[in-house]
Amino acid sequence: MSTRERTFLRIGPQQWADTWAGIRAVAPLMPGAVLFGLAFGALVRVAGINAWVGNYASVTVVAGASQIAMVEQLRAGAPAAIAVLTALVINARLALYSAALAPVFSAFPRRWRLGLAHVMTDQSAVVSLQHAERWPDPVRRRWFIWGASGPFVAVWAMGTAAGIALGPVIPDSWQIGFIVPLMFLAVLVPGLRDSPALVAVAVSVAVVLLGRDLPYGLNVLGGALAGITAGAMVPRRARTDDAAAEPAARPALEDEQGAS
Amino acid sequence: MTAFLVFTAAAVGTYLIRLSGVALLGGDRELPPGVTRALALVGPAAMAAIVANALLLDGTEWRGFGAWHLAAVVATGVALWKRSMGVTVAAGVVAFGALLLAGL
Repeated sequence: MSTRERTFLRIGPQQWADTWAGIRAVAPLMPGAVLFGLAFGALVRVAGINAWVGNYASVTVVAGASQIAMVEQLRAGAPAAIAVLTALVINARLALYSAALAPVFSAFPRRWRLGLAHVMTDQSAVVSLQHAERWPDPVRRRWFIWGASGPFVAVWAMGTAAGIALGPVIPDSWQIGFIVPLMFLAVLVPGLRDSPALVAVAVSVAVVLLGRDLPYGLNVLGGALAGITAGAMVPRRARTDDAAAEPAARPALEDEQGAS
Repeated sequence: MTAFLVFTAAAVGTYLIRLSGVALLGGDRELPPGVTRALALVGPAAMAAIVANALLLDGTEWRGFGAWHLAAVVATGVALWKRSMGVTVAAGVVAFGALLLAGL
């Protein structure tokens, strides 16, 4: 800790470096978050909602799909309670990430757990889960996760502010909605290797499609739950088989060997 | 005013959802192996659900076959090949843009 004199904003260089590593890990998804924010902001403006209230939504709710659903409910004249309930059902999937992150957060101080929970998004949660094993030190790990979460929320909020200020500047013909499946494919596919995960994906997709008539996006929640349940029943192959079947370098492999 | 109250209620509820697992499963306890195995699948299962819902469906209808599907196939192929999030996003954007320009 001889580096204490080199701190900036009372945060040491190691913490800045670990935060930066988190930012880098999630950076490819940031343009998507900005675009999604722009779309939400434009919708706020079109719906005639107060600009401050629109920005307030993005920093307090921090969940784009549910915010869009609420604005659309309000535009349609739905009762406020229904709008809130819709949002909470859509956001129920966040409880799954929260459960998965519980062991990852367990060694963090209480105020970090409370704070990191607020800035947890689909993208930052899954990126954090994918990288957690590589950050065994809980102090360095929490700074990494902060880097993968906080700035991501910040760019989402900036996208919202820009969208509210500018209105619908992106032509419909660009179909920027494609950024949503693309972002999540980019998070999902590179990490797919073992058979339980493949089964989870297949079952999840099937249930989402079969449940397409369910209201409030319940098919997404149901798909995720069914996928998790089905995948957990599939026996995992021994790690040595995995390594033999995958001669290509595995990013996490060295760490796993180092830990064993 | 209604919008402000709706967002506030949703914000409080969403925060409690985000905190739920961390609060209930956190601490020093050792989770049963079955639970740990299930939690490891949260990411893949949730990502797949969102992708299926956003890519293959449009609301409650099937999305008509076109640029979305083809660009997603390109992105998936590149993701399996390069195993990189950034390269996957870039490939998907380029493919989608090219397909739109081609009139698909």
